[in-house]
Amino acid sequence: MASDDGSGSHLPEKKEEVAAGAGFDDLEDPRFQCCVCLELLYKPVVIGCGHMSCFWCVHKAMHFVRESHCAICRQPYNHFPSICQLLHHLLLKLEPVEYKKREKEVLEQEKSVDTYSPQIIEFLNSKDNNCENGEDGDSKLEDNISKTTPEVPVDNAINGHPKKIKLEDVSCARCKELLYQPAVLNCGHVYCMSCLPFLDDEALKCQVCGGLHPGGFPNVCLDLEHFLEEYFPEEYESRRRKLQFGITQCTPEGSSPGTFCTKESMNRPSKQETYLQQNRDLSNVHVGVGCDSCGVYPIQGKRYKCKDCTELVGFDLCDECYNTRSKLPGRFNQQHTPDHRMELDNTALYGSVLRFQRIPEEGLIAELAFIGPGGMVQVVDDHEMEDNSEDEQV
Amino acid sequence: MVDVSRVQKELTECNRDSAISGVSIALHDGGSSISHLTGTIAGPQDTPYEGGTFRIDIRLPGGYPFEPPKMQFITKVWHPNISSQNGAICLDILKDQWSPALTLKTALLSLQALLSTPAPDDPQDAVVAQQYLRDKSTFLNTARYWTEAFAKSDSTGMEEKVQKLVEMGFPEDMVRSALLSVNGDENMALEKLCSS
Repeated sequence: MASDDGSGSHLPEKKEEVAAGAGFDDLEDPRFQCCVCLELLYKPVVIGCGHMSCFWCVHKAMHFVRESHCAICRQPYNHFPSICQLLHHLLLKLEPVEYKKREKEVLEQEKSVDTYSPQIIEFLNSKDNNCENGEDGDSKLEDNISKTTPEVPVDNAINGHPKKIKLEDVSCARCKELLYQPAVLNCGHVYCMSCLPFLDDEALKCQVCGGLHPGGFPNVCLDLEHFLEEYFPEEYESRRRKLQFGITQCTPEGSSPGTFCTKESMNRPSKQETYLQQNRDLSNVHVGVGCDSCGVYPIQGKRYKCKDCTELVGFDLCDECYNTRSKLPGRFNQQHTPDHRMELDNTALYGSVLRFQRIPEEGLIAELAFIGPGGMVQVVDDHEMEDNSEDEQV
Repeated sequence: MVDVSRVQKELTECNRDSAISGVSIALHDGGSSISHLTGTIAGPQDTPYEGGTFRIDIRLPGGYPFEPPKMQFITKVWHPNISSQNGAICLDILKDQWSPALTLKTALLSLQALLSTPAPDDPQDAVVAQQYLRDKSTFLNTARYWTEAFAKSDSTGMEEKVQKLVEMGFPEDMVRSALLSVNGDENMALEKLCSS
């Protein structure tokens, strides 16, 4: 800051600018700052409304009894999305030093609470996800990173090329071209908005991993869109022109791709409403327990808990995911495998938690409304009230 | 535990343009705890709070930024949504409408906006709110008076004037009320004190 003073005295406005830049730790692109921790996004997660945060920042901000609201636009959502790997790799290339620093910091925090975010998993990129998730979980973070880098084509190397990001890094999961109006599904895969309607229209289903996208059409991830627009101005413009000409072909209704989100979400209020109604009746809510497959949080109705997973967070499935025999691994790097035994579990049901903690109904909501779910899970699992556990978890 | 790194970032960010925004944050009483802070906001223009500097006690709960910060006016203020007794604030974003994307700076800016646009239908102080609804001119006068009395003393050298007049032999409470009644004009206050 001191060095700025000399030049700043001549041009006060300039000084402001310089100072503002430094606030973002000199990130190449300040739009990739997480709105919650104010650091560079780490393991970014994109919510259906198109806003993004770090994996842990989204998870900690989720409400453990009721539906959650986006920190930026307050749009309600019920599912904890998977990490957007495209953004993860993009940031890794764009801000290699800072991203590695964040990786280190977050890993330290994770170690201290013995609960881990998913190590970046390659099989989510491939269709056959019946692979050895046990092995994947074993490998340490560093190994995983080094494992993913050879995947990247050789000509993608940062050195010798002025642009750190190549077109292939930001291509649509469906059309394989530069993403135009990118939208991220619950599974973390990114599509052009105009490529989404081609998917199974009953329930939006990812073509890459087969994961269902709950909660209506996603919005365009504007931060990513603006980045692409600036980073690849010509290519983006050509995509725009191309899509506008081919619009009749892409969309039978002839509407512009940007309106899908609003249109579709208008068409689907009933689902949201029923969830809200169910949500008001809290008796079937499993407090602080999320589904490790679809990400719904908290689980309502039947909850299946793994008897063989030893991790602190445990491994749980909602009724639907249990019945579809999801083979996805846990959301928190658990070592769960399909041959583990699952059982119905009601210990975290709203009523039992209240009785167990001897807290009047309103008291629970008011007192613990913002406590991270890790703490709740531990309290519930141990069947012992540990006052400190919550503090440790945060 | 409070996210220390975030709070530090917030402090730098907020104090960077405090001259323009009119809000700033410092550690409470120059202490060392990052979870106990003092915010200041400048009274907004064209309001009875104009010219005043209002201090706000800020306590960060362990869950911050996933829990809202606890804010309370230290400076006494006459406003329908702020307790005239203890400075407690009625503002939704400090309660159930808090979002972790908000910051201390945005919260203080919201308080500044609250000073500009009272919401008497959702009052914190029923007495003030009633006065606001029934007798706006008295409300404005009282609010202005409180601003003069409590939010300006340091900035306009009020303490010096009080000191001077007290040294002349007048009782302090009389000096203060005299100064207030003439908007801090030392000579007029002296006249008033002599004639009373």
